[in-house]
Amino acid sequence: MTIAPPRTPTDARSAFFDARPADSAAVDLSVRIGSLTLANPVMPASGCFGPSLGRLIPVTELGAVVTKTVFGTPRGGNAAHRLTEIRAGMVNSVGIPSRGADGYLAGQHPLYLTLGVPVIVSVGGHRSSEYAPVVRDLRGAGDAYELNVSCPNLDRHGTDIGSDPDAIEKVVRLVRQETDKPLIVKLPVLVSSIADCARAAEAAGADAVCVANSVPALPLTADTRSPVLGNVIGGLSGPNIRPIVLRLVWLASRAVQIPVIACGGIETTDDALDYFSVGARAVQVGTASFGRPYAMVEIARALQERCLAAEVADIGRLIEIWRA
Amino acid sequence: MPGTPAETPAVLAARDALAALRRQQAFAAADEAALDGLIAVRPPARTPRPDPVWDDAPVLVHEVVGERYRRLVLRTATIATTALAGQFLMITVPPKGGERILLPRPMAIHRRHPEQGTVEVIYGVAGRGTTALADVVVGESLLVTGPLGRGFEFPDAALPTATPSAGPGPQPARTALMIGRGVGVCAIMGSVEDAADQGISATVVLSGRSRANLIGLADCAELGATVIPVTDDDGSSALPALGERLRARFAATPPDVILVCGAGVLARLAAELGSEWDVPVQVSLEAHMACGLGYCHGCAAPVATDPAVEGPLVCVDGPVFDAVLPLTAAAGGANAAG
Repeated sequence: MTIAPPRTPTDARSAFFDARPADSAAVDLSVRIGSLTLANPVMPASGCFGPSLGRLIPVTELGAVVTKTVFGTPRGGNAAHRLTEIRAGMVNSVGIPSRGADGYLAGQHPLYLTLGVPVIVSVGGHRSSEYAPVVRDLRGAGDAYELNVSCPNLDRHGTDIGSDPDAIEKVVRLVRQETDKPLIVKLPVLVSSIADCARAAEAAGADAVCVANSVPALPLTADTRSPVLGNVIGGLSGPNIRPIVLRLVWLASRAVQIPVIACGGIETTDDALDYFSVGARAVQVGTASFGRPYAMVEIARALQERCLAAEVADIGRLIEIWRA
Repeated sequence: MPGTPAETPAVLAARDALAALRRQQAFAAADEAALDGLIAVRPPARTPRPDPVWDDAPVLVHEVVGERYRRLVLRTATIATTALAGQFLMITVPPKGGERILLPRPMAIHRRHPEQGTVEVIYGVAGRGTTALADVVVGESLLVTGPLGRGFEFPDAALPTATPSAGPGPQPARTALMIGRGVGVCAIMGSVEDAADQGISATVVLSGRSRANLIGLADCAELGATVIPVTDDDGSSALPALGERLRARFAATPPDVILVCGAGVLARLAAELGSEWDVPVQVSLEAHMACGLGYCHGCAAPVATDPAVEGPLVCVDGPVFDAVLPLTAAAGGANAAG
């Protein structure tokens, strides 16, 4: 745990670090992802966190961190502009720049290891056979792997791995041969059956599914009606996808026994509780961290406070109370 | 056809709007093209970057400046005491009037007042984010994150040496030319402050549409910098005129460094002058950003790189870069600019 103590007591960041609540023995927020136990169910969405954010927030209060997606070989990312804001959402076409597995191990991973929480390494590939070699090349680095089969910004020449249950099954099966560590499969929004995709992941040995990635979208400029993004299309995220993803999480949770990790427009504790109430067992926060760097930690703290206030031991019982 | 029944006022207004859009597009394209091949990542800084913080910064002043801009004075002691010249803030726009802005807006730190624990920011009301920001009133607080990014840095040649009499070395050089346009002036004002502190003679070109829209006149007067105000309405901001004026002014003794922000075409002019005078040029760039810290990778800098290697990011590798005239352009630069 190497987060530097706040340098001065005169900024809100310092006060936020100082306000760390005591862990309560009366509340258990832990969640199991396969063999990995997270102290609480709050973590960043892949691509919306990096060790540099770790300097602004007490990362040890999160259940885990998730890395930006690592590919087997270096990728440069897409042309500018890479992001834009629309009403109640943002659209990004960053295109997952990656230094490759070796570059990640040499550059980023040591920084992640200093954060003092489990590190979930997001892994990408351009085709279903590319994921397992990346996991092999990571040589055991990371506490779990999130298989990103759903980035809307990659040109797959018409083959979208994450919307094809057979392809999902193949990816997971091949990766499972490389590692015993927990595997999370991050699914896309645009699928004909999220239940079939989640079941395919579960059947092939995944320990959780993450629902969902950003939504493919095409933002235009207001004046010239030309594409804003250098890549033309991007992934829509933020509060305006929340009802869409809530439905998907609800469907996926009814289809599989493994945990469903919700990811889609979560900004507040109530947003997170919405997802828990439709079956999610953990949540990822992405876009909200840009405007409020502390949003994730605030949610983790508030989940404990809500349980304490309701005098219940965990989130499951908190939700039962409302339904009683 | 003028005079035909279809020429309603609405049609004429739409035609004017279209023509204005075309001019704006042409200007924007030229400005972007002016940066082609110009931008290079600066070598490692001498001064370590301060750790960024986030803060709930009370708004002490929020006032209209000129016809187009607004000035914010924010109390945020940590940032005011640690920020380096040319660094920026991410300002989160609070929900206002039903409008919710998700992404914080990157803004240059215009002035640092460490004794008062305040910083100043000047912005133009341009889009949804800045329109909502304009509704913030004194007494409210803004969530700010900073100081961020790689700022301006006087090269060794521009720094007064501690013991100027020691040895027969070159005369310590102590002059800087700063060029800012519009809100781009804000990025260079920290360096005007540094120049005042360090005894470096600063000449500051302030460029804008009109005299009423020049940012930084009072700041430069307070900091003892020499100002060259140039505006579009009298033609003095036009590139050939400005270039000739600066060549004449610095003909005998060129400045030791040029710092520029606010327009691609001014960055190119600065690079041409730098090439002619053999002095370094630093330029501060703007970009769409989400995080400001490097982790979202959203702000690719306009630098051509190997497609398999991610290029520099404006937020962490910049916003200040070296501006170096490409070799081919440098050969004919003096003539082309004349």
